[in-house]
Amino acid sequence: MTADKEKRRAISREAARRRRRVESDVFGDLSRLLPLQASVRAHLDKPSIIRLTLSFIRMQALLRETESAGCNAEAGHAVRFPRGVEAGEGRLFESETEEIAPLDETKMYLKILEGFLMVLSTTGDMIFLSDNVSKYMGLSQQTELMGHNIFEYTHPCDHEEIRHNLRLTAELGCSQKRDFVMRIKSALTHRGRVGNLKSTTWKVLHCQGRVKLCVASSSVSCLLLTCRPLPLSHTLLSTHTFTSQHGMDMRFTYCDQRVTSLLGYRPEELLGRSIYDLCHTLDTSCLNKNHLNLCLKSQSVSGQYRMLVRSGGYVWVESHSAVIPGVQPSRSRPNPSQPLCILSVTYVLSGVEEPSLQLSLDQTFPRYPR
Amino acid sequence: MFTQSAPFVFCLFHVLDQAAEEEEGPSQAGSAMPSVELPRKRKGEVEERSDPMYNADIQFNIDQFLCRSEEEDQQVKMKCFREPHRQIEKRRRDKMNNLIDELSAMIPACQPMARKLDKLTVLRKAVQHLKALKAGASGAFTDTKHKPSILPQDELRHLLLRAADGFLLVVRCDRAKMLFISESVSKILNFSKLELTGQSLFDFIHPKDIHKVKEQLSSSEMLPQQRLVDASTGVQVQADAHVRPSHLATGARRSFFCRMKHSRVTGKHEDKHSLPGVSKKKETYRYCTLHCTGYMRTWPSSQLDPEADCTDKETSSLNCLVTVCRLHPPVSHQPPKDVNIKATEFVTRCAIDGKFTFVDQQATTVIGYLPQEVLGTSCYEYFHQDDLQHLAGKHRQVLRSKEKVETQCYKFKTKHGSYVMLQSQWFSFTNPWTKEVEFIVSSNKVVSGPGNAKDESEAGSSTLAHEEAKQILEIPGLSTGVGMMIYAGSIGTQIANELGDTYRANSSPSSEASSPFGSVQEKCPLTSRSFFPVCYHPGESSQLDLDVPGLSSFSSDEAAMAVIMSLLDSDVNMGSWTQSLF
Repeated sequence: MTADKEKRRAISREAARRRRRVESDVFGDLSRLLPLQASVRAHLDKPSIIRLTLSFIRMQALLRETESAGCNAEAGHAVRFPRGVEAGEGRLFESETEEIAPLDETKMYLKILEGFLMVLSTTGDMIFLSDNVSKYMGLSQQTELMGHNIFEYTHPCDHEEIRHNLRLTAELGCSQKRDFVMRIKSALTHRGRVGNLKSTTWKVLHCQGRVKLCVASSSVSCLLLTCRPLPLSHTLLSTHTFTSQHGMDMRFTYCDQRVTSLLGYRPEELLGRSIYDLCHTLDTSCLNKNHLNLCLKSQSVSGQYRMLVRSGGYVWVESHSAVIPGVQPSRSRPNPSQPLCILSVTYVLSGVEEPSLQLSLDQTFPRYPR
Repeated sequence: MFTQSAPFVFCLFHVLDQAAEEEEGPSQAGSAMPSVELPRKRKGEVEERSDPMYNADIQFNIDQFLCRSEEEDQQVKMKCFREPHRQIEKRRRDKMNNLIDELSAMIPACQPMARKLDKLTVLRKAVQHLKALKAGASGAFTDTKHKPSILPQDELRHLLLRAADGFLLVVRCDRAKMLFISESVSKILNFSKLELTGQSLFDFIHPKDIHKVKEQLSSSEMLPQQRLVDASTGVQVQADAHVRPSHLATGARRSFFCRMKHSRVTGKHEDKHSLPGVSKKKETYRYCTLHCTGYMRTWPSSQLDPEADCTDKETSSLNCLVTVCRLHPPVSHQPPKDVNIKATEFVTRCAIDGKFTFVDQQATTVIGYLPQEVLGTSCYEYFHQDDLQHLAGKHRQVLRSKEKVETQCYKFKTKHGSYVMLQSQWFSFTNPWTKEVEFIVSSNKVVSGPGNAKDESEAGSSTLAHEEAKQILEIPGLSTGVGMMIYAGSIGTQIANELGDTYRANSSPSSEASSPFGSVQEKCPLTSRSFFPVCYHPGESSQLDLDVPGLSSFSSDEAAMAVIMSLLDSDVNMGSWTQSLF
């Protein structure tokens, strides 16, 4: 009896072994069909192979959809891509030389944008990531991240906002833009080197993009996003920008001299004033969101809003802000320290609109310094 | 099947698993310790995704494990993974099954099957599908120049520009000649690539922005007034410290906004009415705001500009600005849902005591006053007496509530003395950091009601009643013995004071610490200003009279409040109003 049982067990073990071998072979076939570098392919495990296959199929479906639909998905634009010209776009410049030919145009885009491309499915799967993602997240290569769900890598407090952005609205015709800030895990140290696994921190990413609707099958619909870390470094400031520092309640604690030529206020006049007082009331919610982002995520890009000019009227501006911590958090003091201030770089976008209009109390009579 | 080291590994994953369960609990408080990814060395049997783990735990368990003797090893082996091993395996199987399901959903060949396909079949069909794609598609497989990647370079570029809603622009710095523009410009500006290449950039920039763009195009030599900001620390750095322009290396970064012409059909873009600098010239051109980011780059000139003059050949290299111009949406977030403005609506902003600090220009068409005539005055001066009670109640309510408060219809006095029926939505704006109310935003709309004539007659009759009321109020019999009138402005101030008291009572050490920049700031800064007391006469213009005896003699706000309360107490008709103020 036992011998029989033993024999049966042996047979089933063999069968199982054979099944597993067959399965491994099929997985091997699949991985060889994927357009990957050999070194990358060697390290893939089975779920990763499936994930990458899924990504590949989805991206192909997406691109086919783009081609066939042409510009139909976005009814707002009247111009189509002239096919002939597109074919010649491979060259960056009219004349080819050895120096310019190896220029990788795509790499150039990615470098200029200082970010990576992310294609998100409606359930939050990162279908595709451009390969410079490791430069920003440091954690892993593109192939290790692709196919995973974004909720595993982002700050839990931001999940609600991400979910909200993933929701597709049914309307076509108007391009659905997305613009939000989220925190993602990063293993990079402050100096940009890949730290060890124990030192992962949160990195703030500014994600902008649009929804790519797929009419044929909604499972292919996705979000195309460029994700850039905030803030950009070493930006040249022009005469049309000014910097300012604020307390955490957004009251001015410092403002540079340029504000006088741009808005008419002297820096001393602004100290202690709340930024909400100086802006058009209809933009209160825009500033509020900016402020909340700063408090929660420590960096933010405001949308466009209106700042009132001292002598009347207003200008359109946009601010890029960050919270400057008093002391850098370090290994010995991992808790976030007392924030020192908010630094804001404000770009003035327009000229003065309606210069004769006095909308606010400040514009009517001279304020006495507090 | 398992090698000798397997039990160790499984023990490891057991810890992982436990930690995973913990972290998936509901109390996720945004910890500062994000989860960490294990480097995956094993393929095949054991695969674990990035389960969260705490290093300390792992360390502890490994030590424990290694200290054991051989015998205990066996026991641990049994104990360690018999129970949770099932769970681990189950989770692994579930994940695999989910992936297989997703895969079968994506493969057309698997779709029409009635019953669920088994794993091996799905995988085989996936292989077939990929082979079919390979046969049909170009790019990924035939592109030998670049290293293979999931997405071929061309398509990646396409996607990038779609996502970014932008186009690539290369401009000569000295002459602003556009050397190269990517195809996507046609979607954004509605000019084709051919129309733009070779043109001067300044022909397409809004006139007011030309100076700004010129400045950005200026060569990489640092001008004295240039400043660089290291935005990560907020420190202004020396200009020469970071820019090293060299041949084909990254030069100085540029980031700016500018307005460029576009010739899109206007009908599709009426939502851009609030665009900055919309040009209303006779041409069909309108402008859209672009955010341009890029960097300076140097190239040998002969290769770039075949149309260059002969004299140009002297300079061997050319400075160019390479930038991606992204279309900037007019509002990058949802337009304010809380304040919707139509033609007969206007928005105002008041301080917490009801004094107007911001009045929309559309108000003039409704109330007759220009904004500057109204700014600084209390809204109570314009309310009809009949509405005072209910509006004061709403005022108190809005200061304490986070939601919008809707008023009933009320009368607002216009410049000409007549009344217009308004209905408003108020909400108080609290500073997210200090949690104090900064101001009240009011969205007011005109309610079509009975005609003006009736209003005036009502106004007339109410004047009479009001005179009586005034007389009643002037009757002494008060502790102070001073003849008093109700000042409309003081109603608002009093309500604001109450709020200030609430804050003072509630202020805790933590809230003090959170605003280190002047925690001694007054919570109600406006109460320290002198009153604008106004005799409440409908039909008369408000007087800004600062030397009113009586009120100014009070040393504290509380005393003033007490007097007003006692006044109100004496009037039977206003008894219910008193109630609402306490």
